[in-house]
Amino acid sequence: MEFLSVLDVSFFLLVGFGTLVGIIFGAIPGMTATMAVAVCLPLTYALGLNNGLALLLGLYVGGISGGMVPAVLLNIPGTPSSITTTFDGYPMARRGEGEKALRICVIASVIGGLISAAVLFLFAPLLADFSIKFSYVEKFLIILLALSVIASLSNSMLIGIFSGVIGIWLSLIGDYSISDGGNGHTRLMFDFMEPYLFEGFSLLPVLIGIFGISTILLEAEKGVKRDVAGERVKIGASGRFSLSTFKGSLTNLTRSSFIGTFVGMLPGVGGSAASVLAYTQEKNLAKDSSQMGKGAPQGLIASESANNALTGGALIPLLSLGIPGDATTAVLIGAFTLQGIQVGPLFIPENHETWYIMMTALVLANFVMFVLMFFAIKHIAKVVMVPKHILYPLIVMMCVVGAYAINYGIMFDVWTLLIFGVLGYLIQKIGLEVAPLIIGFILGSQAEVYFVKSLESFGTYSIFFTKSPIALVLWALIAASVLFAIAMGFKSRARQKMELSQMHTPSNTTAGKRHDSTNG
Amino acid sequence: MLLSRKTLMNVSVAAAMMGATLGSSVAMAQDAQLRGNVRVVIGSTSTGGDTYQNASIVVDRLAEHLGVNMKVDAVGASSAFRTLDRDSRGNTLMIFHDQSYLGHLYGVQGYDDIFEKYTIGPTIAINPGNAYLVPMDSPYQSLDDIIEAVGSGETVRVAIQPGGVSEIGFSALKNAIAIEHPGQEDNLVAVNTGSQSDKNQQLFDGQADVINGSVQANEQYTRLPESDQKAMRFVWLTARQDTIEQAPEEGLGQTTRDQLLEYVEPNVTVTMGDDENFTFDKEFFFLYNKEMDQGIVDQIDEALEAIYAEGDIQEAQLSAFFIPDFKPSQEASDYLQEKMSRYQEIIDNIN
Repeated sequence: MEFLSVLDVSFFLLVGFGTLVGIIFGAIPGMTATMAVAVCLPLTYALGLNNGLALLLGLYVGGISGGMVPAVLLNIPGTPSSITTTFDGYPMARRGEGEKALRICVIASVIGGLISAAVLFLFAPLLADFSIKFSYVEKFLIILLALSVIASLSNSMLIGIFSGVIGIWLSLIGDYSISDGGNGHTRLMFDFMEPYLFEGFSLLPVLIGIFGISTILLEAEKGVKRDVAGERVKIGASGRFSLSTFKGSLTNLTRSSFIGTFVGMLPGVGGSAASVLAYTQEKNLAKDSSQMGKGAPQGLIASESANNALTGGALIPLLSLGIPGDATTAVLIGAFTLQGIQVGPLFIPENHETWYIMMTALVLANFVMFVLMFFAIKHIAKVVMVPKHILYPLIVMMCVVGAYAINYGIMFDVWTLLIFGVLGYLIQKIGLEVAPLIIGFILGSQAEVYFVKSLESFGTYSIFFTKSPIALVLWALIAASVLFAIAMGFKSRARQKMELSQMHTPSNTTAGKRHDSTNG
Repeated sequence: MLLSRKTLMNVSVAAAMMGATLGSSVAMAQDAQLRGNVRVVIGSTSTGGDTYQNASIVVDRLAEHLGVNMKVDAVGASSAFRTLDRDSRGNTLMIFHDQSYLGHLYGVQGYDDIFEKYTIGPTIAINPGNAYLVPMDSPYQSLDDIIEAVGSGETVRVAIQPGGVSEIGFSALKNAIAIEHPGQEDNLVAVNTGSQSDKNQQLFDGQADVINGSVQANEQYTRLPESDQKAMRFVWLTARQDTIEQAPEEGLGQTTRDQLLEYVEPNVTVTMGDDENFTFDKEFFFLYNKEMDQGIVDQIDEALEAIYAEGDIQEAQLSAFFIPDFKPSQEASDYLQEKMSRYQEIIDNIN
């Protein structure tokens, strides 16, 4: 415990301050944990390594957690990894259970964060060795597994798959980047679009547009009168939070936390895949998952524990291989290089003190996040009480500013936001499904890169089945996920039919009677 | 002919105004200086990479010296070029490295001829770490072994990121094989990958025999026990011998400068023909919008000259394992243009 002697008050204050600022960044649509860390990175020069890490890890944990707030209350994923939080969070908020939903999210988040920190502390080098067993082939299969959620997430499987394919198509617009080992050529666009779409559509403006702006457009359609008299009054009155919500969720919580940690430690797979995978697995494995997507706490638990578990997971390859696990740790690595510290397979054995300090900051940041959010929720949740005709223009303004800032001032990102806002609105009007589309968009380009690279490396399609036992296990999971979706589809169709016939019979009788009486 | 008083007055007022306008524009031309907020975009999206690190070291000192607010933004090559294209006032500057012209030589979309399209600013530093590595238990003990193996018909796969700094060493190696073992150069195969993590992974998977890497990113891997699947060995550093000799004696991590010198010429040579050997120093330099005022170009040159004369910056660069390398704009432009033409020859030879 020698390292404790180098910690002073400022260390603890910086963790707290970092977490608070991170939460604010995460909660503002368009601002992300990555951005928060990038903005504060130069401060590490002045703060020194220990205090710098305290601030940055606080920002990281806070930024990832803050994303839950707009996801639940406004249907806008504050960060890409909180996309699955919107699926159940927003329906709960609409039922007047916003506060309850947020409390569930906070508890799931802190547990996910702490489990991943424990895994990082105990098994980092071991897991890093395991993570290098995942080549392009296995990474492609993981993305495919996450994509298989499209089938079970949709109301109508065919429409869902169609929407997912559109999402994948949209993700492929742009160049096949040389930084991915591609040829750097653009595709799926006309020449005049190149200046704008060379790197494709930016993820966050698309996400915020298709979820946030389209929701606002749909709400705007209803007009002001209904809003004032309507849902906003219900906050807190119904659906109070109690810890019993977590009863029976231990498996979900643990499984999702481990999935989050695991996906986090695979460089290049990305944060959004973690929550999508955890959500899929809960949907497939839970005894009753029929309410998921309609406001079920189990969906929130899966999503939020997984996305906070990313934090510890993504630090595993960073500190054990020198390779960042996600976008934020890619920025975090700058804190080390700016201080002249090498990160690589010998980082932990050669920098014991820094390692313990990082762990302390990470655990502390999780607790600070919990305390800050759990007790502030009551007030945060009141956002929904603000009349929508005042709230929504403010949100649109924040979205626009966020979209403009996300790539350091690209105006086309603002147009992307608005284009996808209108597209999201139209999609819902013509009956396509938004969630599969966006999952296709998030995962599509990664799936392509890993698929092409697998073929380039191994030269045969059969490699996807013969590469390793891990590949076989992943195929089994994919098959199970698809079969489950089909079975669920049949089941719900049968249930709908039954409900319809039950409704039909009495109404027939009534109509018949009325008919009879008229005749009589 | 007599001029009316009114006309005279008008003419004198107009003359005075013209004079004032001319005077102020002359003054403006002389005074064109960096002012307000200056954004320095870099050709990399990574804040953990060498471009960001180099840019921060220089920009922090430049901002302090000039008393201007400057910020480094890691926006990536294509965004950086586009941002620079839009701003001729001098509020946007760019820092990048040899990739900026190598991308053009390799025909990568989005890379124009920087010498035509931009003004080349001063060079600031060299990263001497560009390296090639093999697995610890590789049958190839040296680069000569690899050249001989390829020359005798064996296929050797090299993991690189195509279209730039990562590829130039591969191209040079291929060119050397074409010179020493004509017709055998196609046995050296590029495995196109992306990040350093992808290149390492190719080595761990046995999908590449050699990878491009760097002293900074891979040094710790070279110190792992041989039994570790991740263990690697350096076989070649592309930097010039003089460049490595300027590095601190303690080298990087636990690999000393003397150990690093084992992997550069004359110990490891890659011929370019005509008794010339290939070397490659990854150099960082400023790029400016072509329309930017010469006054700002001179101002930055002078400021950096003063900063480098003070000597503190060299210490910061060396401690981060960069070699200080200041050349003012004109000198840098001539030097880099000459450097590009040498590499163009190699690329032309193997195509």
